[in-house]
Amino acid sequence: MQQPLTDREIHLVREKIQGKYAQVAAAPAGCFRYPTGAEGLRLQQYPQEIIQGFPQTVMDSFCGVGNPFSLGPIYPGEAVLDIGCGAGVDSFVAARLVGPKGRVTGIDVTDEMLVKARANLALLGLANVSFQAGEAESLPFPDHEFDVVISNGVINLTLNKEKALGEAYRVLKPGGRLMIADMVLVQGLPPDRAGQIANWYQ
Amino acid sequence: MLKVGFHRASFDRYTGFKSAPETEGALFYGEKPADPKLKETIEAQGEILTEIKPGASACDPGST
Repeated sequence: MQQPLTDREIHLVREKIQGKYAQVAAAPAGCFRYPTGAEGLRLQQYPQEIIQGFPQTVMDSFCGVGNPFSLGPIYPGEAVLDIGCGAGVDSFVAARLVGPKGRVTGIDVTDEMLVKARANLALLGLANVSFQAGEAESLPFPDHEFDVVISNGVINLTLNKEKALGEAYRVLKPGGRLMIADMVLVQGLPPDRAGQIANWYQ
Repeated sequence: MLKVGFHRASFDRYTGFKSAPETEGALFYGEKPADPKLKETIEAQGEILTEIKPGASACDPGST
């Protein structure tokens, strides 16, 4: 049975994850085994009519593990929360979908990612997107705030996934939708890697 | 997702993106009931499903 992490291990995991994604913010290419950037967007079949207008530097910063938008529509005027927004690519896609009467809020725990997201936002000039610091397990929003919550490759990095999902539930309006892509275990880890703390951030 | 109250919760498909031989991206969808009174029923269903299917869950601690 998996032992709960000690406080020291929790601190280490948080620190290592933030450190890893600070590096990703600076140079995402080569940080992951799967395709990132424009190739990742193409392979995950992101809507070309939306991303073709993105500057190259914005597309280069994509490192998601799937396409949450493939799970269902997002409508003009809706309010969307992007948990773990990274450099903001999914937030920008959502912003195009909700239009000027909608709004998108992206949160992330990595300061370097927020800086990158705001720089990308300046390139795009979208008025309906904002970024702020925030944790999935303690969302800084009132109940029933959003029509849609999206997330891409983030929940697997949270230390209390039930709490993170509970927070997503709390901030959704009744009838709201959760659309997430995430990395999951599809088979057991080999004995020499099972239970290793480094699995959280490698 | 069921445990916290989502309904119509589903695994949609794998994405083909792998961070390690043992992992793969996956897509999940869920809805918050329009009627809050449904939450108790859904939570009870979630507990039943957890008892029936105790296998590996998505995003276990230590997952990559």
